[in-house]
Amino acid sequence: MSSLLTVENVTVQFGGLVAVDKVSLTIAEGEIRGLIGPNGAGKTTLFNAISGLAPTRSGRMIFAGADVTALGAPDRAARGIRRTFQTVQLVQSMTVFENLLLGLHSRADNPLAALFVGHAVNARGATDPMATITRVLDYLDLAPRVDHLVSTLSIAEQRYVEIGQALVASPRLLMLDEPTAGLSPAQVARLDDLIARLPADWNVSIVLVEHVIPLVVKLCHRITVLDRGRVIAEGTGEQIENDPAVQEAYLGERLNA
Amino acid sequence: MRTLLQNNLVWLFFAGTVALSFTTDAYSQYLMNLVLVYVVIGQGLNLILGFAGMFAFAHGAFMGIGAYVSALLTAKLGVSLLVAMPAAGVAAAIVGALIGFPALRVSGLYLAMVTLGFSEIVQWGIKHWKSVTGGPDGVSVPAPVLFGHRFYGDYPTFYIVVVVALAMTLLAQAIIRSKLGRAFVAIRDSEIAAQCSGIKVARTKVLAFAISAFYAGIGGSLFSLTQSYITPENFGFYQTTLHFCIVIVGGAASLAGPIIGSIILTWLPEVLRNAQALQEIGYGLMLILFVIFAPRGIAGFLIDKGILPRERFSLRRPSLPGRSRPAPQEG
Repeated sequence: MSSLLTVENVTVQFGGLVAVDKVSLTIAEGEIRGLIGPNGAGKTTLFNAISGLAPTRSGRMIFAGADVTALGAPDRAARGIRRTFQTVQLVQSMTVFENLLLGLHSRADNPLAALFVGHAVNARGATDPMATITRVLDYLDLAPRVDHLVSTLSIAEQRYVEIGQALVASPRLLMLDEPTAGLSPAQVARLDDLIARLPADWNVSIVLVEHVIPLVVKLCHRITVLDRGRVIAEGTGEQIENDPAVQEAYLGERLNA
Repeated sequence: MRTLLQNNLVWLFFAGTVALSFTTDAYSQYLMNLVLVYVVIGQGLNLILGFAGMFAFAHGAFMGIGAYVSALLTAKLGVSLLVAMPAAGVAAAIVGALIGFPALRVSGLYLAMVTLGFSEIVQWGIKHWKSVTGGPDGVSVPAPVLFGHRFYGDYPTFYIVVVVALAMTLLAQAIIRSKLGRAFVAIRDSEIAAQCSGIKVARTKVLAFAISAFYAGIGGSLFSLTQSYITPENFGFYQTTLHFCIVIVGGAASLAGPIIGSIILTWLPEVLRNAQALQEIGYGLMLILFVIFAPRGIAGFLIDKGILPRERFSLRRPSLPGRSRPAPQEG
């Protein structure tokens, strides 16, 4: 597996607080990477740094062979870095279909033509966006909901729409920020199943932030553990579970006593 | 039948104004022209305020720029209205984009303050640049001559106003259903999420300012046609408040909203004409009541009741086998 994303010594600082401290990691093509750590470890900030939302103080990021450190979030999204959020960030007053169209914003449509024929014209002659949207809707079992307002959907369905909004853009890297938050155990199981299939079906790498450790261990090829902004461990699920530094970060001094 | 009506409301409204124009006296025709002028400005303000969610409080000034550019070009340089009206829109759009750049740094109330300050400067400028604008005395507006025909009076003016208002409303609809319109709404709801979908927020906001100001500029040009002369007093704080009322009372983020708002806010002053002092208080009171109790305005209420269709943000629809009926309308 060749590497898709390389993060080198990235530091994010808010005033005096170093939220992400010289973090380095490499995500391979087709990999599902878990990102765990106690509250305040810097998981979401690292997500924001990779998506281009949080300004980095030092370090660099190489994505698909190109240095993207200086690029803003929209440019990174256009290159195939997509994400979801801890709290669903969809336009509630739009339908499922319209929200999926939002995910296609980076396509190089002729802006004037786009004004009058929607997304019919594509400068580079890529696949028909409607075909992609149809495929995503079917894949996520959202077809019956296509014309429904997002505000009328359950949280679980909204999370699928958010994943769909990323998938329509054919991303290379999909970052999921606690996608199972607020879901029932049955819904979590279904979502796990979906995440496990994504890399093979959509040719995408996944980075997953999650609190439920057994779930991460089950899903992820490799896991990176953050604590106070630093990487304290990286390895397979089994290695992580037996790592004393990880146990200390999660359980504190009590374990050592 | 009902869907057919609902899908063609824009055409219905404009056909209605044409039909009504055969029944009006000169004064009601003048009022109807004003309604159409405010439909144009209202659609423009709605794009930035209702759809893009930015408190731009300067449309009186943009309107004034459009009105003066149009009136001065036709009156002093003898330029055809076919050139002067687009020039009015473009002039307002350029100024709109210029105010849009500093406005990127602020939002909400602060944006309202910046744009309000800007519009005071514009009004002051028009008042004091006497050699060009005629100062407080204003400029008289000549009747336009188009295709060898002189459009003098309220009825001939109506034909210009109705055609332009229809075109601008259809353009607003096209914008809302394009990726640009979706980008406006995405930015309104969450700038961060919009960025992660590939939307360039700064560029889109400046574009919203320019397009919205373009509408006000065209509206200003149309407004000048309905008046025999224009003065700086036409384009002050009162005017901007009126535009806000039109969008908020009519219904923000709905194409029907500015139309409903324009009708009500042109008709209401006529009812209150014997109580001038009540007008301005009335506007303020109405704004407060609607913002608190019906933030989506009359159109929002009618959409919830299923009388008006909800606003669509796409031109094409997916053709999926076994697609269910659309959900009950809800906003």
